[in-house]
Amino acid sequence: MTMQRRFLIVSFALVAFGAAASVSAADLAAGKAKATEVCAACHGVDGNSATADFPRLGGQYADYLAKALRDYKSGQRKNPIMAGFAQALSKQDVENLAAYYAAQPATVAAKH
Amino acid sequence: MTKTLLFAAAVAATLGSPWAAAQGAPAGDAAKGRQKTQMCTGCHGIEGWRTAFPEVYHVPRIGGQHEAYLVKALQEYKSGERSHPSMRAIAASLSEQDMADLAAYYAQGGVKTASK
Repeated sequence: MTMQRRFLIVSFALVAFGAAASVSAADLAAGKAKATEVCAACHGVDGNSATADFPRLGGQYADYLAKALRDYKSGQRKNPIMAGFAQALSKQDVENLAAYYAAQPATVAAKH
Repeated sequence: MTKTLLFAAAVAATLGSPWAAAQGAPAGDAAKGRQKTQMCTGCHGIEGWRTAFPEVYHVPRIGGQHEAYLVKALQEYKSGERSHPSMRAIAASLSEQDMADLAAYYAQGGVKTASK
């Protein structure tokens, strides 16, 4: 391996690490605490909502859940109930909640 | 008292019909829904599939989702209340019956995968 190539690989690794580090890792315990406090009444603590009006979240993709919360917060997705809750969430709350519900037993799955 | 009851009945009858119409969503037929999934499976049928536009994220898993929520999502895409471009275009082509059928089909549950 040439010196140049080694330098390139190390550079890429550093850039990749930097990008990953700029988004704080999701905290599942904090996600659960917030979920219990804010979301559980409708969506359930494990995301398996018992009421048809409220979607099941357990096992949903974290990035989709986070996008939904961001869209509710920005008003791009309109729902009078979710708008209020999403407004109160920080960026870190959103990441924590999304990761927490994604990690719960699957209630939804891909389907042909 | 009788008058009150009569009045209440009259109000109920007057309000009843439009309310019933609003509530009268067609019942979904899962078997028919299965025939209508051509536009869905390319994204929702593939585990791990991601959107490409306007933002990259996983296409949500919808197998096993609540039927009523799925109908509502499709209606909101059709009306423009929800904004994903592909979903708006697809939902625009669906009738109320199509939405009910698709929701009934998808609510039945998804494929089990190795990861989940």
